[in-house]
Amino acid sequence: MVGYAASRLTHPTNCVVWVRIMQELFPSPAAGRFGRRQKRERGARIPVTVITGFLGAGKTTLVKHFLETPEGRGTAVLVNEFGEAGIDDALLRDSSEKTVLLGNGCLCCNFRSDLQMALHRLVVDRERGVIPAFGRVVIETSGLADPSPILTTFATDRALGAEFFIEAVITVIAAADGDKTVKKFAEARRQIMLADRIVISKADIADEDAVDTLTARLRQLNPRARVIAADYGRLDPRWIADAASAREGAAFFAEAAEIEHTDKVKSFTLTEDTPIAWEPFARAMETLIALRGADLLRVKGFLNVAGCKGPVVVQFVQHIAHPPVELAAWPDADRKSRVVFITRDIGEREVRDLLTAVRNLAGP
Amino acid sequence: MSRKPAKKPAKKTAKKTAKSAARKPARKPAIAKKAAAKKPAPKATAPLRKGASDLSWNFKLLAHDTLAGFGGMGEGMAVQVAKDGRRILWLAHESAPKNFTGVDVSDPRKPKIVVQTDLPQSHMRSNSLEITGDIMAVAYQTQKTGQKPAGFELIDISVPEKPKSISFTDCSGPHSRGVHQLWFCDGQYVHMASGAPDFKPTHELDDQFYRIFDVRNPSKPSEVGRWWLPGTREGDNEAPPERHQKPALDKGFRAHNTNVYPERPDRCYLGYIDAGMFVMDISDKAHPKPICRWDNSPPYTGFTHTVLPLFERNLLVVTDESTSNDAADWPKLVWLLDIRDEKHPVPISTCPLPPVDAFSSRGGRFGAHNIHENTPSPHCWHSDQIILGTFFNGGLRAYDISNAYQPKEVGAFVPPAPALSPVGAVQLNDVFVDEREIVYTVDRFTGGLYILKMDF
Repeated sequence: MVGYAASRLTHPTNCVVWVRIMQELFPSPAAGRFGRRQKRERGARIPVTVITGFLGAGKTTLVKHFLETPEGRGTAVLVNEFGEAGIDDALLRDSSEKTVLLGNGCLCCNFRSDLQMALHRLVVDRERGVIPAFGRVVIETSGLADPSPILTTFATDRALGAEFFIEAVITVIAAADGDKTVKKFAEARRQIMLADRIVISKADIADEDAVDTLTARLRQLNPRARVIAADYGRLDPRWIADAASAREGAAFFAEAAEIEHTDKVKSFTLTEDTPIAWEPFARAMETLIALRGADLLRVKGFLNVAGCKGPVVVQFVQHIAHPPVELAAWPDADRKSRVVFITRDIGEREVRDLLTAVRNLAGP
Repeated sequence: MSRKPAKKPAKKTAKKTAKSAARKPARKPAIAKKAAAKKPAPKATAPLRKGASDLSWNFKLLAHDTLAGFGGMGEGMAVQVAKDGRRILWLAHESAPKNFTGVDVSDPRKPKIVVQTDLPQSHMRSNSLEITGDIMAVAYQTQKTGQKPAGFELIDISVPEKPKSISFTDCSGPHSRGVHQLWFCDGQYVHMASGAPDFKPTHELDDQFYRIFDVRNPSKPSEVGRWWLPGTREGDNEAPPERHQKPALDKGFRAHNTNVYPERPDRCYLGYIDAGMFVMDISDKAHPKPICRWDNSPPYTGFTHTVLPLFERNLLVVTDESTSNDAADWPKLVWLLDIRDEKHPVPISTCPLPPVDAFSSRGGRFGAHNIHENTPSPHCWHSDQIILGTFFNGGLRAYDISNAYQPKEVGAFVPPAPALSPVGAVQLNDVFVDEREIVYTVDRFTGGLYILKMDF
């Protein structure tokens, strides 16, 4: 029974199977439908910040400055190199608590197992006292990396999701040539679209017009992300180290309407004012995953689930569902369910219709 | 706790304290003298360290207090909120010369000692205490059988700076070392692991058994019931129990923790060291009767310490105690038992320990000991989802047991070796969490008190 529950955590309804089994065998009034209520979304997991950005965008400078701040103390840095010379790694090694250079390749291609091994090694080494204690991981991806596979790697308990939690995906883009890069390279567009926060770097050496143009372009591609310009790679470290605010964490800069970006990428926000039933929502998401999982680039949000005390954080990356987490309390007075979808060619109407159909079948 | 001192340096310390204590003529236990609470802690040039062993994961250290240089703490921790609103953490010391210390932890970032008392004899230790309202019960155990004073004391702590003895109950005897542990949470009864003047064990290590005292009149406690493992008292019809492997693992068939909770006032959850654990029916306190027994040793290495019931979940949390240095008695574990059928407890999981090879050579003990016991007090945090335990040089560990089949570590705190530690490593001994979710943990030798916030 337990093995079954643990092995199928990637399906929305099965995510909560073991909780139901536990409640039947060893019931606890303190536990909710989704297990122990957490104070925060990441629970006890180690926060991870993923820094993406095209070649030469200034990711390393940004990380280096962060490590020099008090907030950067106790950070382990993983650098994913693409190219022969480990320049980035050499730059970072002096200042970080622990830097691991991943394989000579791109995180999104063949080296996800490197990432898993490196992160597990970090935890073991920390426990054994081989390396100093760390409380945060920063992963600097190679310039060509698509963040989606990295997000997927962190989504399941079997890989890294049990111990690590991606707190933010930060994309760095150079002010001067950012607009051109975005136009020219699909990888760069993907990095922008999947970001929680975007840093416009090297603003100090670019025209003001260039920054404004790029900002407008970024807003068009990703209206949910917070955008900030950084001079000389310097940035308020809280941009990297702070847990996302409740609104930002769920990417709730809700769009007024569905937006279609380039590459058939769409984004929209589903909201509901009244508490929703979990079962039909989970079944609808299962159907969506089964039929179009590859096109669910990122889905994340808070649900007001009927019968739950706090909001339930849900997250899906392609075919994988994170185990839902019930928070101990709502962060503010807003009790609306709100889920942001970033998809490839799946529209809001289709998702809404699916949800409605499943609800109707499920009955009251 | 084991009877033997840990290492040679500890013996030296013990000799010193014995000398200084011997100059004191007091015979009655009492809270004797208020010690020099203001005496500054001795400063070491540098803490002894054996590598980068410190770790803080999902715990935030708010304060560390070496308790005026007397930072060797036992396994008695309780919180009182005084009439003036101050929150006082009461701590039992591991060994002489100190008896107990009261620390104002109203502001957990600025703990202040309000009182620190001395034991009247160097061969005594207090080790265990509990509080109900403004009355504190303190256990007194001697190093050898036949020594005095040995027993327990009830103390009025309504004015924390001026603890006043209400009564002392003598449990000494030719074959008794007095009281090692006690439980006093309902204001009516003290449950304890104790010897008695009239109890002659079949083996010298089996001297302490389960005793219940009625303290409704705190000036005149009276024994109302007792139980011992059949075969451990001279004259029993049963044969004495087969000893665990000598000498290292033969620790005694005697009582340790005697926990009783208001959810089931008719039950005592009894750790019985080398006999494993018992759930006792105490509906008739004059005749406690075992309902079930679970014993993991052999093949494990004995010393069952604490039995914590999680009533609504039908689970028991049972701890071993590590009593040998350098992990010689590994593995010492925290076990989860399915007790849906009270007569047939079934072990279903253990809380994962950190790797033994990384801790066995750090110095001192490594392995399970005390856990936060959900003490029935309004000033105690209660959880059936999280277990916090101390693992000596393995530090403080927190486990999420929401999936009882797969306990998962969610936090760890391993401070650097305290200055002057005789074993060169921290030896976290006990833990208590108050209802504000502030965590207090203590070191067995010199580190004193660490105050933390849970961050998970």
